[in-house]
Amino acid sequence: MTCAQEKTRILTVDDSPSMRALLKHALTAEGFHVDQADDGVSALDWLKENECDVVITDINMPRMDGFGLIEHLRKGAIHENRPILVLTTEASEEKKAQARRAGATGWIVKPFDAVKLAAAVRRVTH
Amino acid sequence: MLMETIDFSKHKRVRLMVMQGQARVSGDPRLELTTVLGSCIACCLYDASNNIGGMNHFLLASPSNDSGLDEHYGVYLMEVLINEMLAYGADRRMLRAHLYGGANMSSGMSWIGTANAEFATSFLKAEGIPLVSQSVGGPSARRVDFRPYHGQARCRIVDNSQAPKDLPTPKPREDHGDIELF
Repeated sequence: MTCAQEKTRILTVDDSPSMRALLKHALTAEGFHVDQADDGVSALDWLKENECDVVITDINMPRMDGFGLIEHLRKGAIHENRPILVLTTEASEEKKAQARRAGATGWIVKPFDAVKLAAAVRRVTH
Repeated sequence: MLMETIDFSKHKRVRLMVMQGQARVSGDPRLELTTVLGSCIACCLYDASNNIGGMNHFLLASPSNDSGLDEHYGVYLMEVLINEMLAYGADRRMLRAHLYGGANMSSGMSWIGTANAEFATSFLKAEGIPLVSQSVGGPSARRVDFRPYHGQARCRIVDNSQAPKDLPTPKPREDHGDIELF
């Protein structure tokens, strides 16, 4: 049996409790260790004390949105190369380009497919 | 969006039908959103402090014959409405909800309306959005008229023949959920 420390650690950032619950259920079932934050500010606070291998973030959130979170993380050397996947209902090319400029690693439009999302996480962590 | 093509200045009242799978949001006092529901659910959200409201219309299916609804897709459909509200300037903390529909009209899908209503109610509770009025369940179709600017809703029982057929809301294209790496 794999212990939690050996699993890929994912931080999901989404302001919707319902979406957080879905993500946790789906990614845990795929064998990942999942921690969660409800907006960009909470994610930054969590990352001051903890580590993860991948960040999966929504865009539209209060206090600090996904773009702000990515920009903050890319400013710091610790998170310079950490994979950051954007998972959003936004389908516009403009928003996608904005995420790319901010430093996102990848872009996924909801509704997500658990198998595809897990494959994406494995792809950016190996 | 369709509403962006409407010249509101030429009309005293504009009525816009919200079809299954759609979410419409507006802050125009002349607009009235309307829909007819059988087993489907319409969730009307409004932010009275900013005079912005919106309505969606959906029917979730069961991913298999013997299990619950495809709640994953339902969460997505509700998130689309909420995000559209926020994009128009609504304050998430001020959102209030009306919920309508979820009738059990046909014997072959007798549970689907109730299950959809329960999903919507649970979603609103989990998201901390107060439900201020609802008319769900029962055997009859409903017509809902909602004025998003005012947050006012009117729900009437109508003949079941007026309701759309109980076909689950079509999902987005197959490429949704695909990853694009930069």
